[in-house]
Amino acid sequence: MKQQKVASEITGKVWKIVGAPGASLAEDDPILILESMKMEIPVSAPLDCRIVEILVAEGDTVSEGQLVAVIEA
Amino acid sequence: MAFEKELEAFQRRSEAARAMGSPKRLAERKAAGILNARERVDLLVDHGTFEEAGLFARSIRPEAADVSNGDGVVSGFGHVDGRLVGINAADFTVLGSSSAAIHGKKQSFVRNAAAANGHPVINLMECAGGRIPDIMGAAGIGASGEIARYSRRRTTPAISAVMGLTYGGGAFTCINSDLVVMRKGAVLAVSSQMATSVAIGEEMDPQDLGGWRHHSEGTGFVHAVADTDEDCVAWVKRALSYLPDHANAVTPRTEFAADAEAAVAGILDLVPEQRGKTYDMRKVIAAIADPGSVLPIKDRFAKVAVTCLARIRGRAVGIIATNPMFKGGALDPDSCDKIAGFIVLCDSFNLPIVFLADTPGFLVGLESEKKRLAGKIMNFMAALELSTVPKIALILRKSFGQAYLNMGGGKSDTTATWFTGEISFMDPAVAVNIVYAVKREDDPERFEQLAREVSKDTSAYDLAAPFMAHAVIDPRETRAYLDRQLDIFSRSLTGGVGAHRLADWPPAF
Repeated sequence: MKQQKVASEITGKVWKIVGAPGASLAEDDPILILESMKMEIPVSAPLDCRIVEILVAEGDTVSEGQLVAVIEA
Repeated sequence: MAFEKELEAFQRRSEAARAMGSPKRLAERKAAGILNARERVDLLVDHGTFEEAGLFARSIRPEAADVSNGDGVVSGFGHVDGRLVGINAADFTVLGSSSAAIHGKKQSFVRNAAAANGHPVINLMECAGGRIPDIMGAAGIGASGEIARYSRRRTTPAISAVMGLTYGGGAFTCINSDLVVMRKGAVLAVSSQMATSVAIGEEMDPQDLGGWRHHSEGTGFVHAVADTDEDCVAWVKRALSYLPDHANAVTPRTEFAADAEAAVAGILDLVPEQRGKTYDMRKVIAAIADPGSVLPIKDRFAKVAVTCLARIRGRAVGIIATNPMFKGGALDPDSCDKIAGFIVLCDSFNLPIVFLADTPGFLVGLESEKKRLAGKIMNFMAALELSTVPKIALILRKSFGQAYLNMGGGKSDTTATWFTGEISFMDPAVAVNIVYAVKREDDPERFEQLAREVSKDTSAYDLAAPFMAHAVIDPRETRAYLDRQLDIFSRSLTGGVGAHRLADWPPAF
């Protein structure tokens, strides 16, 4: 199992955290959802994985490229 | 028999020249599952149609004559699916297919003959860079400049495949092409890692320097990625099928399946009703295009923008769309470059363009401004305004601000919108903040009232009333609508051929 970090592709506000640490996700499943440009934009699992840690909280502002979660696969 | 001795010598010399580089090198490639130059050409052309130019060419340096079969490139002409094309296939087993006088002269011959006579050019590339010692010394590099011509008018399509280590001149040939496919494991870079480690003290993996991930996701230099040599050649052939032989011709219409209309009937289920929800635009495109006809172009780069070649009722088109699945469909600087380059391709080769817009606007903010967003938007717009191919702009859901214009709104032969269209200078919720300085959290009631007011004149019908949208359509009618519009805006006076004002546009987009 190798850990990797997931970055936000866009600047925005964390609207909803979908996956809790320990949750198993399939590729493209949302980890959390950002609000940006008045759209709900998911930050999704880049591959089948398990969430190790969520690095942000709902309501936080994240910038493009900021790490938002740690996963292992 | 008369001339028996000469005939024997001719056969012997032909065979020796066709043997390419050393048997050891050829065997190593075979063991690694990599095709040699002649096998690649055989795979590309219709059987028995290859007309070689320069079989007996050799290095300009007499001392290298015995080790320079063809001077490192297999050049000539052949038929690909019945169409005549020029071919330059790098032979890495001969001096690394390095750039040198005769090597370059052969490639130029094919390129010039193809351009002058209206044939596409296919480059199957590998290149160790400039040949040592040929390019050494002042006269060495000076001589390269006297022969080489780098700028290219888009007279006939050029498609390149990066099929191994491709440095220097080989890399430049690929960059100057209209379409590039790269095999996984190949490398495209100005300079090899050996040179960079000496020149700037930087040690690195060649894949980081110029591997397929770097170019398909980072630089956007390659239009597609293939797993094997065979897949590379298959991609080249498929890409060619969407393009005409030259800029003064159009792509012939093809047959399409009888059940081609089925998918579009379910299109309403592909797009969420809630305006803030995302979806995958590629599924919408697949439903609109003829089944199996979509060829993604740069699908790993700047994913906000979808660019693809496709067919609608047998007619080849270029489709440019925003994809709400990535960055909400907000166009970022890289997606501007991606679209501008694609417009150049379509305009140069008479491919009508279909815009499908669902975008909250350009992606504003610090990162975008740092990446020169204003300039990128104007390059995109310049390409759009200078293009003369038929353009049809269709709004699916939202299309706001400058992005409405860049996605062809009012800038195309015709603009239409699905009945779900929402068009304004910016998202109404943002507009309330900016125009009235009211935030939802401060005064929810007033915010809602103002949001209703700002949203009032932004529907599909509000764009149709002043005849800025020429039609409001049922999404299930999209295919039939586009087909009819492509008939109407057919450029029949010139046989479908445009003015090609973008034919000299710079290559690296």
